[in-house]
Amino acid sequence: MGLIGNLTNNLGEQVVRLTMSKLRTNVKPTLVIGAALGALLFSASVGGVGVGHAADLPAGFKSGELAPAPPADMIEAGKRVYFTKCVWCHGVDGAGDGPGADRLWPRPRNFNQGTFKIRHTASGELPLFNYNERQVDSGKNDLFDTVTHGLPGSAMPPWEGILSEEQRSQVLSFVTTQLVKDRKFTDKQSETQTILQMSDLKPVEANEESLKRGAALIVDKKCIECHGVEGRGDGNAFNLKDDWGFSIQPANWHKCWNFRGSRQDPYNVRNIFRTFSTGVNGTPMPSFADNTTVEERWDIANIVNSLCERDVEGKPLSIDPLTDKPKINFVVPSAPIEGEISNDPENEMWKKQGRRYVAMGGQITHKPRNFVNRIDDIWVRSLYNEKTVVYLIQWDDRTKSVAEGKLPWAPTQVNVENFGVKEQAPKTGEEGSIAAAQNNYAVYNDAIGFQFPIKWQEIPAPFKPRFLFGDAKFNADILKWEADGSLRSFKGTGWDQDFEERDDFEEKVKLLKAEWKNGQWTVMISRPLRGDKDDYDDYTRFDVGKYIPMVFFAWDGHNGDAGRKMAVSAFYYTILQPPIPQEVYIYPAVIAVGVVLLEGWMLTRRANKKKGKVL
Amino acid sequence: MKALMSVGALIGVVGLLTLIGMIFGVVPSNTVRLVEGYMPMQVLSELAIFVAGFAGLSYLLNSMGIVFPRFWQGILFWVFIQTYLKFRIYPPIPFSVRAMYGTVSFVAVFMWVSANEEDWKKFKQPILNVLDANTGFHKALRTMYLILLPLLIGGFSFLTMRPSVDEPIELRTVHPAPPASTKVHGKTYTLQTSQNPYRVNPEGKYDQAYSNKLIVEQSMGRLMAPNANPWDEKAEGYLKYVREGGEIFFQNCHFCHGDNLNGRGLHAFAFNPIPANFTDPGTIAQLQETFIFWRVAKGGIGLPTEGFPWASVMPPWEQHLTTDEIWKVILFEYWHTGYYPRTWD
Repeated sequence: MGLIGNLTNNLGEQVVRLTMSKLRTNVKPTLVIGAALGALLFSASVGGVGVGHAADLPAGFKSGELAPAPPADMIEAGKRVYFTKCVWCHGVDGAGDGPGADRLWPRPRNFNQGTFKIRHTASGELPLFNYNERQVDSGKNDLFDTVTHGLPGSAMPPWEGILSEEQRSQVLSFVTTQLVKDRKFTDKQSETQTILQMSDLKPVEANEESLKRGAALIVDKKCIECHGVEGRGDGNAFNLKDDWGFSIQPANWHKCWNFRGSRQDPYNVRNIFRTFSTGVNGTPMPSFADNTTVEERWDIANIVNSLCERDVEGKPLSIDPLTDKPKINFVVPSAPIEGEISNDPENEMWKKQGRRYVAMGGQITHKPRNFVNRIDDIWVRSLYNEKTVVYLIQWDDRTKSVAEGKLPWAPTQVNVENFGVKEQAPKTGEEGSIAAAQNNYAVYNDAIGFQFPIKWQEIPAPFKPRFLFGDAKFNADILKWEADGSLRSFKGTGWDQDFEERDDFEEKVKLLKAEWKNGQWTVMISRPLRGDKDDYDDYTRFDVGKYIPMVFFAWDGHNGDAGRKMAVSAFYYTILQPPIPQEVYIYPAVIAVGVVLLEGWMLTRRANKKKGKVL
Repeated sequence: MKALMSVGALIGVVGLLTLIGMIFGVVPSNTVRLVEGYMPMQVLSELAIFVAGFAGLSYLLNSMGIVFPRFWQGILFWVFIQTYLKFRIYPPIPFSVRAMYGTVSFVAVFMWVSANEEDWKKFKQPILNVLDANTGFHKALRTMYLILLPLLIGGFSFLTMRPSVDEPIELRTVHPAPPASTKVHGKTYTLQTSQNPYRVNPEGKYDQAYSNKLIVEQSMGRLMAPNANPWDEKAEGYLKYVREGGEIFFQNCHFCHGDNLNGRGLHAFAFNPIPANFTDPGTIAQLQETFIFWRVAKGGIGLPTEGFPWASVMPPWEQHLTTDEIWKVILFEYWHTGYYPRTWD
């Protein structure tokens, strides 16, 4: 991580300098010339390499033939598949306006224009589809691969194991001939196929040199203008639109499992290389095939791939094949620390403590439901000392949101539907859909919160206060931080009950850090392990070595999140890890000695038996 | 015979190499995929193929004059079973279950190597050799065991005694006993006698057989029967209700239960307990339609204690949908998965 951290830090500086130089009229010439020289050097050292040799084709591409038209019986069979499985989102005419469309973001693909995102073909061209080619990931059948693997980060699921290969081919035969209306897959007059030859291209090893070149290139090629200095999708491209006028956001390079083109293999650099080479049709993401060499593209793919989240040892996170997201561990351990706990996440004590991935889903249980939650995970770490327990929570949020002026509701109010925080109506048409409303919401505060059971020691297992702010019988101890700088402590008595304030406790909780930087929030919250007296009626007392249920909440102010319109986690457990007791060292030693004695007895017995003695 | 055994041996070697390659990431870990819904059969047949392969391998080695001691055969076969159980089966089975399988397979291997006196002698000879330490090699081996065994056992007990932060295990009843009746939107429904008002034949009568003829089974991806398109403009009665149910499903339910009703919706990855998989024969296929009605209307918060009402994010749908809409969604779920609801008798 050290190298990457340095690289991105340097990047940050470079970007600041570049922007400054743009603002000022007297441009600092050295930097620009240096960058240009660097680019020249790189391209000179690798120039001429690549697969496509034809003068007009970009490097790595070759001209291809249009695939044959699918036979009528396949189209007819595909229609049956379509109207059983696909019509619900993509609509009767394939215009991406099925019954489910208005509550989705990204909206389902409108097939009519023949605009498809993930391809091996040059920018603007139709994707590869051949009804005869049934090999998964062959690089010769883009649409087949998309249906097979789905599009992670959207509602399009992988259909492998559900539809047979035959059925997938059939439904695509129907879609490409009947629902793509403005273009024709077989029209030689209007369509060409310039195909990226992935099988002929060998990745450049992701060594320090390649990453360094890549880090310079993502600045040079302006990748970071949209994707942000650290690649968290937070660049100055807040309100980008796709071809249909819907809001679209640049990919967050740190969550490669959400890349649409990741093909259920998110850490594979080839997928990034392909997307970067062909561009994403229908979106502002262009193809870089014309202005980069093949080697430059590998360098960029390497640096982008290297930014995807990894574990403490720098290894890719293990991905759960059932969900295509990182595997979840439901325990958030808190490690003991002697003395003061640092408020710097870069401090050794925090770096040593492993992060836990906490998955966040939309709150879709009670009104107003949050169908599109823009915060889909948070990273949590925890440490404790003799007095306090500290939670360090980090999550990616492309926008820092602080409500302008005073919010019309009190901090304790949960039921804010009267103030315009409403859930999306089921059917509104394109104009009223979530995809159209994105980035046009009233801006509220970004916020993070978590709850513990009050008096958990007295709650009989397996009862817990309900995950959504507790219930009337078992109350929840809730801490909520908002981007206006407030950190408040509440008592929750049910999902539809406004919070109760607990003033006396607020003086004891502390906000150690709250910072938004390059698309990431870092919030550190400290709370006492126990109160002054042993009476713990109103707050959670932490006992070492006990599992305490914990639920996380997150609000994205630019998503119009407030009240119950939020992201929520499942039940996690936090545990103050006890220092290792002495018995743990003593007993194994005793056991080992016992084994030695047993060995001696066995050998003696065997020796005696051989000599004919009987014990 | 020899040709047959050679084929067996070839299969065994290829299978073993693929398995090892997949475990160590030499070849992609999905080279041979586990197909959802067919996993138990697939696992059993794979194991059968491996056993046949090993038999062939052993025969071939024997005929080539290479004697592979029974002692190592037994141990390696047991190790193979354990490796297979640990790395091949997904979702992973817990250690306690693996330990159980391990014991059973250990007993089986033990019975195999001790089937007759001669085999048993062959099997225990290497152990006795080490114990007696007649040769230099065996003596070295014995010394090594004498030192290593206490260390390993001591180390293992240290690891198990060290306080761990594993997830605590909580057992939740997935399909708890339903109440006798449920009150939704002011009306009381007796679960044993209520019927889905939309599961009707063209004569307007409740008819399970009629409704389920309109979906045909084709592996997991069940499709509507030809000419049974709920989106047909002329669709009337049952099929029209299916479409209306589908519209409600894809505006409300797919976020968790998924586009194929297999419990893998957009938000599913974040929640625990995970959303129900309706394509699994263990869910709606073995439940009554009124049971589903009760579960849908009352949601997670309406579960009895053994169902952990505090953890389920299933909405009480009476807060979002009308009674008619709930019945239509249920109709759609059975249509899409191709299952019959269970009856009360």
